[in-house]
Amino acid sequence: MLYRTAGQFKTSYRADQALFPIKQDAFLLGIVLLCAWVIFPLTASEFAFQTLLTPILIYALAALGLNILTGYAGQLSLGTGAFMGVGAYACYKMITLMPWMNPVVAILLSGLFSAGVGVMFGIPSLRIKGFYLAIATLAAQFFLVWLFEKWAWLYNYNASGAIQVPNLDIFGLYVAGPQASSITQYYLVLAIVCVLTYLAINLTRGNLGRTWKATRDMDIAAELIGINLMKSKLTAFAISSYIVGVAGALFVFMWRGAAEPNLFDIPLSFRVLFIAIIGGLGSILGNYLGAILIVGLPVVLNTVPSALGIHVESALLEHLNIMIVGSLIIFFLIIEPHGLNALWRLIREKLIIWPFPH
Amino acid sequence: MKTFTKLTLATALSLGLGGAAMAEGIFAPNLTYRTGPFAATGIPLMNGQKDYMTMLNERDGGIGGVPINFEECETGYSTEKGVECYERTKANAVVTQPWSTGITLQVLPKTNTDMIPILAPGYGFSPMANGKVFQWAFNPPASYWDGASMIMQHIAGGDMSTLSGKKIALLHLDHPFGKEPIPVLEAMAAEYGFELVLVPVGLKEMQNQSAQWLTIRRERPDNVVMWGWGAMNASAIAEAVKTKYPMDQFYGVWWAGHDADLKQVGEAGTGYKSISWSMPQPDAPVMADIKQHVADTGMTEQEDPNSVFYQRGIVISMILAEGIAAAQAEFGTGEINAEQLRWGLENLDISEARLAELGMTGMVPPFSTSCSNHTGHSGAWMLEWDGEKFVQSGDLLQADRSFIEPLELAQSAEYADANAPWPINEDCE
Repeated sequence: MLYRTAGQFKTSYRADQALFPIKQDAFLLGIVLLCAWVIFPLTASEFAFQTLLTPILIYALAALGLNILTGYAGQLSLGTGAFMGVGAYACYKMITLMPWMNPVVAILLSGLFSAGVGVMFGIPSLRIKGFYLAIATLAAQFFLVWLFEKWAWLYNYNASGAIQVPNLDIFGLYVAGPQASSITQYYLVLAIVCVLTYLAINLTRGNLGRTWKATRDMDIAAELIGINLMKSKLTAFAISSYIVGVAGALFVFMWRGAAEPNLFDIPLSFRVLFIAIIGGLGSILGNYLGAILIVGLPVVLNTVPSALGIHVESALLEHLNIMIVGSLIIFFLIIEPHGLNALWRLIREKLIIWPFPH
Repeated sequence: MKTFTKLTLATALSLGLGGAAMAEGIFAPNLTYRTGPFAATGIPLMNGQKDYMTMLNERDGGIGGVPINFEECETGYSTEKGVECYERTKANAVVTQPWSTGITLQVLPKTNTDMIPILAPGYGFSPMANGKVFQWAFNPPASYWDGASMIMQHIAGGDMSTLSGKKIALLHLDHPFGKEPIPVLEAMAAEYGFELVLVPVGLKEMQNQSAQWLTIRRERPDNVVMWGWGAMNASAIAEAVKTKYPMDQFYGVWWAGHDADLKQVGEAGTGYKSISWSMPQPDAPVMADIKQHVADTGMTEQEDPNSVFYQRGIVISMILAEGIAAAQAEFGTGEINAEQLRWGLENLDISEARLAELGMTGMVPPFSTSCSNHTGHSGAWMLEWDGEKFVQSGDLLQADRSFIEPLELAQSAEYADANAPWPINEDCE
């Protein structure tokens, strides 16, 4: 009823290939965008910006980058955290070496560095597959974090070994550093995330996306039909690492404000991987749903008792939180092993054929 | 999902019935870590902090008649959770107690715009002592650089020239906290002609330090100074015993003086020293009050009231309470705000007489803060493990301020530069 597709005729190829061929999808997306661009910023508190809106967007972007590599091209990576770190450190170095540089340009450029590093560590993927490749990317993870610790030039010989985001402005408006307001940072993150998501959707629908999927499903068959595996795998590594690197730069510059090397250690890689897996490998929407579940839910759960006016010891609350989120993850994966995206697809299909199930 | 929400609510409700209702009064949240890898050292500290405030609420009805709402927000020592807690509490809080150098670094730049004082007793960034630059940050009663200076003086026996030609190893956590003393130790090495060997311990290697102790065995340093925390200390002490490193040449910072770490080696640890700006005093009147009002009524979780860390937690809460009291007296109001507390923390006067009034003589050396001095530089005692417990060894030590001050000024100026525009309090001299 709500999702009736009957009567929506496509009269041209262009209409048939549109990003959202079904009206209701476009409508839903419109509502989400309206919320993200207008309603949330107008109503959100400082707390919501700092602990929900901005981090969810940034984690979703990182998961999107990983999803291109793991979900679309089928190359398992455990080095996401380190590639985020490459983006963050590259951005930091550019900003401190060239203070006149526009911060947004610096953030977008820093992705190129992590793309380069990503391709370098992607070369082994031409020979090794699956779990063995995961071990190779794990090596990247350990090596890069070690490098962030030992190469003092990267953090400008700071005594504490951490990087600290200076105050940066665009035309007099602070966008990073302690002087920047959360709403400016949120809009900047939102704009970058929207553009990159739009590009990613189109990339995965296009020629390149199809070569990736062919590589993922069976690389020998893909090679036999004339797909250049080297090109396919390395472009996946490059584009994925680019997005992950931008997410890393946003992570430090638009949200954290400071970072020490072990922030980019393996727990961060796992966190992003979990978001991608729970959201659904090989999907775009899933990254956002996964980020809401993994990043947003614990924060919301933490505020429940005080909102209800009951007092729970903070440490106990933390333990409860871990248990609840853990069981929710298991619960969702049992009812839909292919992630939240598949769950949404199922709901949508049911809605389309409702009230006449087959 | 609905079932789960219901389940959560039900659990929360049933647990909540036992707890107290939200208290009114001055909101002084504490960013605790009773969970996670550092919980073992965190719990006694947090218990001490909480018990002192509970005692004030029970005995005096708070401070100046206003109860203290000493709520905890659990971080598990994670920077991300710490920032979440900071954002959650900052709207009503008069103070933020970040409890980790990582969270302090993260929150420090925001304090100028959020106008909330950071109270980081004995941790955080050493140049925070310069109150002109770090108007909102306080790390009384002694900074890490003070600690490093006092340890070196103890090693030198008071005459720094004797250090010439010696070899000192710094076994430190490879993390902002562990790297804190390096600048001052390097400057000292250059000045007094000793050799400094850095032995970093990665966060992942905390419990397996065989490689580090092999280095120490090969280098044969005259002294080992440890800047460790949590699981790292216990492992280091165990390794030192195993490799037969002479314990009386082994020194630790104040966070490396946890009773439980030494109890596991017992007699073998005799001679190990830890600098400390707090000293357990089992017979102090304040301990009797805490026993009467908190322990006997079953409101504490602490088992051993005489451990170094528990009593240090009490001292930390005392510093905050004195800041609140000073602000109340100055502004003539009970419910002070964050800005007034900043004044209070800037005008702390913990004299010998005041300590006696509080019933805390000997628990912390007397100190006072000012507009340009946010640390107080109380000096510290050297504690020595006698095989069963920590005992005081020698008199109160004082940091060589004339050596540290130029470094503090340089580093704080550098920080202000890197974070320009950074407001500097020109009014104080």
